[in-house]
Amino acid sequence: MRLVIARCTVDYSGRLDAHLPEAVRLIMVKADGTLAIHSDGNASKPLNWMVAPNTVETTEDEWVVSNGRGERLVISISEILEDVTHDLGDDPGLVKDGVEHHLQALLAGRPWVLEDGLSLIRREYPTDIGPVDLLCATPAGETVAVEIKRRGEIDGVEQLSRYLERLNLDPRLAPVRGIFAAQSITPQARVVADARGIEAVEVDYDGLREIEDSELRLFDIR
Amino acid sequence: MRIRAQRDDLADVFTRANRAVGTRTALPVLQGLLCEVSGNTLRVTGTDLDVTVKTSLEVEVMEEGRAVIPGRLLSEAVRKLPPGDVTVGVTENEIEIQGNGPRFNLRPLNVDDFPTQEDLVTDGVEVDGEQLAEAIGQVAIAASGDGARPILTGVLFEGTDAGLRMVATDSYRLAKREVPGIGLEGSGLVPARGLRELPRTVGAAKVTAQLREREAVFSSDKGVLRLRLIDGSFPKYQSLLPESYPNQIILDKYELLEALGRVTLVAEDHIPVRLKLVEGGVEVTVTRQDVGGESEHISGEFSGSDEEVSIAFNPRYLQDGVSAIPGDKVRIRVIDSFKPSVVDSGSDEEYLYLLMPVRV
Repeated sequence: MRLVIARCTVDYSGRLDAHLPEAVRLIMVKADGTLAIHSDGNASKPLNWMVAPNTVETTEDEWVVSNGRGERLVISISEILEDVTHDLGDDPGLVKDGVEHHLQALLAGRPWVLEDGLSLIRREYPTDIGPVDLLCATPAGETVAVEIKRRGEIDGVEQLSRYLERLNLDPRLAPVRGIFAAQSITPQARVVADARGIEAVEVDYDGLREIEDSELRLFDIR
Repeated sequence: MRIRAQRDDLADVFTRANRAVGTRTALPVLQGLLCEVSGNTLRVTGTDLDVTVKTSLEVEVMEEGRAVIPGRLLSEAVRKLPPGDVTVGVTENEIEIQGNGPRFNLRPLNVDDFPTQEDLVTDGVEVDGEQLAEAIGQVAIAASGDGARPILTGVLFEGTDAGLRMVATDSYRLAKREVPGIGLEGSGLVPARGLRELPRTVGAAKVTAQLREREAVFSSDKGVLRLRLIDGSFPKYQSLLPESYPNQIILDKYELLEALGRVTLVAEDHIPVRLKLVEGGVEVTVTRQDVGGESEHISGEFSGSDEEVSIAFNPRYLQDGVSAIPGDKVRIRVIDSFKPSVVDSGSDEEYLYLLMPVRV
C-alpha cells in the first residue's frame, strides 16, 4: 500500500470527464493497482478512483493511470508532502458478527440459560405465519416458544404473540407459553410482554460466547 | 484462436480447469478460463489466485492465439453439445463454440486482465498418486471450513526421515497420516479446499509433488495444480497426543459405521452420541427431545482400568474418523469423558484420528 500526500490536479476521462483543481490530497495506491484520491472530508468516498486492473505510469510530476476500458486518470503533481509504502500482507477478510442469528444458535445449544431445565425441541419451528426461533420443553412437558432479538422492542413481543396464537391452535402443543429473549429489552416491551403473560429475559451475549468458547477443544484457538 | 477437438476431450480439460474457478471472485476476469493455443496444444488455466489448475490437450489448430472465456458457461456449453468434433473460435469480440449443429456465441473477458503466473519447472518428487489422494482424503476431513481461522483450513505437510507427514485439525479433532517413502522436503500449510480437488483435476497413477516457498505444486500427465500456502504457525500438535490410555475398545468398523448411520437419523443440532464402553462391547445411545432416540449394543473387546466408561462425541466427527480408518477394525482409546480419545485401526501405525469429546 502506497500513500502519497501531494499538492496536485487530477483529470479523469472515461465514462465522463472530470477535473479536480489544485489542492492537497491523499493518493492511495493498493497492491492490486487500485488507485483512489481522497480529500480531507467527503466521508469515506474518494474524490476519484480507478479499480484494478490498471496500468500506472509515474514520472516525477505526473502519474497516468489507464485501463483496458478506455478510462484514463492524469495526476499532475506540483509538490509531494509525504510518500510512504507499507506491505500490509494478506487480508483475513471481513468477519461479520451476525448477533441475532448467533444468539439463536447459542441459545439453541443451551436453552436452560433462559429457564432452568428447558430443553430444545426444534430451531425455526414452522407456523403458518413464519417460523418461531426456538420451540422448547420444560421438564414437566410444557411447551415454550422463544423469540430472540438483538434489541427487544414492542414489535418483537407482537410477533411472538402472533406465533403463540397459532401454536396454541395445535392440540399436540397447547398450551404454549412464550419467552421473549434479547440482549436488551425496552421498558415498553416489558410492559406489553407482562400484559400478555410472556416472560421477557435479557441474555448476556458475551457471556454465552464465553460458554461457547469453553466447549471442549484440543487447544486454545484465541 | 481457432481449434477443433473431440467434445469429450475438450469438456474434460475445461471442466477440470474450471474446478479452480470460484463462485465469488475478487476480479471478474477470474470467472474465466485462460485458453492459450500454440503448436498443436491447447492450454487451459483456471484460478481463484489461491488454487490454480492448468490442463492441456493436443488439438487440431487452425489459428493460434489466447482468450479468456467464462469458465462455467464454456465447460457446460461444450458438455451439452452433441458427441463428435467441437470447434472453438475466438475473434476480438466473440467466442463461437460449434458442434454438429448447435452454436454458442459468448462474450470473451479481457485477456490482458488475467493474472500472469511465472512459468514453472516441476522438479519435485514422483509419488504414487492413489496413495497421495487416499492420504489427503483421510486428513482433510479434520480441516476447518471456517475462513475466520485460516490456519485451521490447511493441511500441514512435513517432510520426515521416513517420508511425509500430513496433519489437519479444526480444534475439535485432529487427523495425522504418515506416508512413508515420499521424500518431500520442507514443510508448508496447504489449503485443504485445494487439496480436495487434486483427484478430480490432476489425479493420476503418478503425481509429481513439490513444496516451494509460497506454494505446493502437484503435476501429472493430466495437468498442474498449484496451491498457495497459508501463512501462519500450525498448532503444536505433538503435545496433544496422549502418551497412554487406561481404556480401549476394539470394534468391527462396519458395524460401528452402520450404527452411527442410524444415530445420525435422529441426531441434529449437534446432539451428541453417547458411548458406554462395557465388558463385551459398547452401548450406543442418542436422544432428541422432539424426535425420540435410538440405542443399540455393538459387540467388541473392551479392556481397561475402569469397569465401564461413558463418553459422548459429535456423531458426524466420530463417523468421519471411523470412515477414514484403514482395515476392518477400529480401536477407540479413552482416558475419560473430558480428554481427547484416539481412533485408529489398532494395527496400522500410519493413521490416527484424535477426537475431543462433547460435554453432556
